[in-house]
Amino acid sequence: MPANQTMQSNPIQRLVRWRGIRARTILDMVGPFFGLLLVIALFSIDPAIRESFLSGGNMKLILTQAAVVATSALGMTMIIVSGGIDLSVGSVIALTSVVTAKLLVGGYSATTAVVVTALTGGMVGLVNGTIIAGFRMMPFIVTLGMMGIARGAAKWLANNQAVYAPDSAVNQLMAKGSVNQFFPLPIGVWVMVILAAVMSVVMTRTVFGRHLFAIGSNEATARLCGIRVQPYKVVIYSAAGLFFGLSGLMQFSRLTMGDPTVAKGLELDVIAAVVIGGASLGGGTGSILGSIIGALIMAVLRNGASQMGWGNYTQEIIIGGVIILAVGLDKLRHPKKE
Amino acid sequence: MHSRLSDLFLVGLLVLGLCGCQPSDEDSVTTDIAVVPKGTTHEFWKSIHAGALKAREELTNAGHDVEITWEGPLKEDDREGQIQVVENFTTREFDGIVLAPLDSKALVRPVEAAVKSGIPVVIVDSALESETPVSFVATDNYKGGRVAGEHLGELLGGKGDVILLRYQVGSASTEKREKGFMDVMKESYPGINILSADQYAGATRETAYQNAESLINRYGDEVEGVFCPCEPVTVAMTKALRDFELAGGQVKVVGFDASDQSVTDLKKGDVQALVVQDPVRMGRLGVKTLFKHLKGKRVRERIDTGVTLVTQENMDEPDVKKLLNPPLEQYLQ
Amino acid sequence: MTGQLPRLRMVDVKKRFGATEALRGVSFEVAAGTVHALIGENGAGKSTLMKILSGVHRPDHGTMELAGGPFSPSNPLDARRAGIAMIYQELNLAPHLSVEENILLGQEPSAFGWIRSRRRGEIARAALAEIGHEDMPLERPVNRLTIAEQQLVEVARALTQRPKVLVMDEPTSSLTQVDMENLFRVIQDLRKKGVSIVYISHFLEECKRAADRYTVLRDGETVDSGEMASADLNSIIHRMVGREMEEIYPRGEHQIGEPVLELRQLAGETKPRSVDMTLRRGEILGVAGLVGAGRTETLRVCFGLDRLCSGKVVVLSRESSAASPARRLAQGMGLLSENRKEEGLLLNRSIADNLTLTRFQPMCRWGVIREKAQRQAAQVWMHQLDVRAESPAQSMRELSGGNQQKVALGRLLHHEADILLLDEPTRGIDVGSKAQIYHLMGRLATQGKAIVFVSSYLPELLGVCDTIAVMCRGKLADVRPVGEWTEHAIIKAAVGQVGAEKANH
Repeated sequence: MPANQTMQSNPIQRLVRWRGIRARTILDMVGPFFGLLLVIALFSIDPAIRESFLSGGNMKLILTQAAVVATSALGMTMIIVSGGIDLSVGSVIALTSVVTAKLLVGGYSATTAVVVTALTGGMVGLVNGTIIAGFRMMPFIVTLGMMGIARGAAKWLANNQAVYAPDSAVNQLMAKGSVNQFFPLPIGVWVMVILAAVMSVVMTRTVFGRHLFAIGSNEATARLCGIRVQPYKVVIYSAAGLFFGLSGLMQFSRLTMGDPTVAKGLELDVIAAVVIGGASLGGGTGSILGSIIGALIMAVLRNGASQMGWGNYTQEIIIGGVIILAVGLDKLRHPKKE
Repeated sequence: MHSRLSDLFLVGLLVLGLCGCQPSDEDSVTTDIAVVPKGTTHEFWKSIHAGALKAREELTNAGHDVEITWEGPLKEDDREGQIQVVENFTTREFDGIVLAPLDSKALVRPVEAAVKSGIPVVIVDSALESETPVSFVATDNYKGGRVAGEHLGELLGGKGDVILLRYQVGSASTEKREKGFMDVMKESYPGINILSADQYAGATRETAYQNAESLINRYGDEVEGVFCPCEPVTVAMTKALRDFELAGGQVKVVGFDASDQSVTDLKKGDVQALVVQDPVRMGRLGVKTLFKHLKGKRVRERIDTGVTLVTQENMDEPDVKKLLNPPLEQYLQ
Repeated sequence: MTGQLPRLRMVDVKKRFGATEALRGVSFEVAAGTVHALIGENGAGKSTLMKILSGVHRPDHGTMELAGGPFSPSNPLDARRAGIAMIYQELNLAPHLSVEENILLGQEPSAFGWIRSRRRGEIARAALAEIGHEDMPLERPVNRLTIAEQQLVEVARALTQRPKVLVMDEPTSSLTQVDMENLFRVIQDLRKKGVSIVYISHFLEECKRAADRYTVLRDGETVDSGEMASADLNSIIHRMVGREMEEIYPRGEHQIGEPVLELRQLAGETKPRSVDMTLRRGEILGVAGLVGAGRTETLRVCFGLDRLCSGKVVVLSRESSAASPARRLAQGMGLLSENRKEEGLLLNRSIADNLTLTRFQPMCRWGVIREKAQRQAAQVWMHQLDVRAESPAQSMRELSGGNQQKVALGRLLHHEADILLLDEPTRGIDVGSKAQIYHLMGRLATQGKAIVFVSSYLPELLGVCDTIAVMCRGKLADVRPVGEWTEHAIIKAAVGQVGAEKANH
């Protein structure tokens, strides 16, 4: 068959061609989990920390620690799949966490704070998307600018210091409750899981999702096929902004204060999570499940390395290595015709 | 991008400086003093600012005309930014600079350049590895660490398991506190076992919180005492202990520096003691020492502004209250 | 010259990639100073063979000889040094560099790392002179040359290596008839100078004109070989395809009805300048012209991809001049781009997604796409269009050019478009797929769909269309029923004015 001839096989594909089933599909499904299990196994080797590391309480801890990055990764996956990038995430998280704190200090209800915080994130995204689509500017440049603007706005709003807020229902969002058992999980983790499930369906099973992939895969083709590319971009960046706003809310809840200096460099963690999850910065590929697992892999590595007593520099080196490894493996799984 | 921004900023400052300084040179009565903090986010720096303004008020009352210019780097860990600020003040020919260096080495060159062009520098808060500054006005952080260590040792009755969560690699002041603490443990409390002393809290509150969570998850069953060398770490660690239901005295916490949050924690009993510096005094003495030098008087090379151990018992005493809640509004609008 | 050792000889070369046997035994010889055509459908193994020749892959079995000595290159540089020069279908030029820089790319004459600019000019000019184009401006960036000129730059670059064998892979795929004539002249010149040329093409007529001998590949094997002069094209096609091909072009009566698309003095930003055209139900309207005549631009402006500056578009008797592609699709119009890889396909998405991209509604329930329904719909089109692939879920990237094109066309069918604008639908695909596309167009017209068929390959226009329009310099030169056209007349209409104006310069 000609189709076969033009397709290059590689050792991994050959290895797993099993009983006629395209084993690549299996690899695609198991692949991301495999990486996560591998890092968990890595830290379970040492008997000194195995018990505390594998405890339900610690797993809850990891999920809670990963929630901020994972929630942002939901929005970032949309953006990266559509062929864009957003560097302003960290700053938007700081800004929105300050917004929450300011609102609570100002005596607004928790509900108002939640809604306004998310909308603030959405507004920043709307501005990003409008500039990118309206002036056909590079997302990298626009969001790089926004990274500075949002950070500055956060500091200005917070008067250059951490904003302590009175106790409110928002603090419960990331409250862990009992620390010895896995359940109950913080509300924020549930929110993240539910949103991930919803986004996963949206990305893979709706027309909106298909159009997103189409734009990222080939913008000219998308346009040819009647997809209104520029309005789509506005929607994508705005929706992603809502997720970043939600992350800001979670960040606030974790610290129970709004800190304009928080989440510095977090944009790279979020992008790394999405890329570890199998997305290509060129657009057109990526998945919600992958991105969530990417965020978890990084959280497990941080948590495990810290419990092992490894220095922070070790964590940085390992996470850097994992990013390269993950993308390298992905190349093997998805060989491209030259 | 960043450096281009700061360049622009620099040019802007230069222009402003040229316009602003020209007339004031003529009467030559005014003494222009620049105060350069490490950052502007933390309350600590606001207190230093208040102290500097307090010194100005005192000097004005004594009949001297002193102007204070307050400016820090754009980011808290931006060494390059602080270097540029110092360089700007040097070219603007201020009469003197009070500096809290972000880095004990990186700031040496700009400081020496300033001194060479006839602008004396007084260092506050953190040390600078140079002979040229007029004086070093700061908390003796090593001593502060020792005070914390002594207190934690007493609280535990000389035995037990202890964690030290360090702040950040390369932060001189906290490293001294950590060393002071560790030395006391070694010398005076052989019965105390250090569970972990190699973890760093990292740059932001979130990283501090995550590392505290991981440490407590690992050692929660054993740990009896914790030392936190600065405010963000103290708050983060207390929060983690509360999560694990170990707060309220089950695990003794000795922290450093005060903030609204950590004072609340102290009041609640989640924190047993805070070693508190006197930043207002630091700012005040920094400016006054510089002024004294400018008037040709001899000043001491090292001025210790002292630390106070604040516990639930003494926190309501007026002196301590003033330390915990410096009357900043009085000086800062 | 005859009677000598063959310049290039390949004997029983085999190559397998994993489970796929790409080459199952290929043998052929090229004598010095001859042109040898390598013919075969896409997927027959031509590309693999060329990669072996150029040192990208190493053969698993078989021997190769170059100028009498053994030849087994371990990498492309090795092959180049041994005297193999390649000219690929897709041009390999650095668009912003000048003609001279491109000709000397990778082999700059230098002394201790310093580029010797004087010497460069000489070498570049000599290479251009060799192909009779010494008048080309050396300092002009190649992106400001026409495609044909760019190709000549590539040929010149290949010649600077003094190659023993020059391999040309589909060199005419983006050339117009006139440029092609020019290229053939260059090929004849080179042959006379003793260069051996391996000429790969789908276009049998071309091979017949350019080559001395031919070899037919099918499914990785040599199936036929012989003298071009005495060869019968039909039997070669038969060998290539491996099955009877009674008729390449469809013969069917088209019921031509009322106008469905009318262009009135249509003008874009630069091209077209003014086009009047009427497309009727059941009609296949061919558009001929040189590259750059504004054919593609006319379709793009009409479809809303490029800005419409003046003029009118009337769709189904209703004026709808400026519109977005989305609006055109809603009106039942569909466009197949000439450049399917850059505009037309989502290469890293599945066949199913590519087929159904413009119309998901029939397979949606509550806004969620039912994947089973999507797969089924895709399967139907894949079957109808004879798309050879493992499953609808397979990635587009893995398909051959012909199959990719069928999917791109299938999208218009799935969209149920009544007005199809097809821009070079048969470019770069194999003969088998081409015939299938011609027949499909015939069937569609019989069903009452209206088709605009832009092509640079005149035999197919003459074979398929009801009416042919010829464009020249952004304007419509002439429209006539197909019976009133000959190849010669079309070329005249397409270039007549160009020739006249050139004389004025």
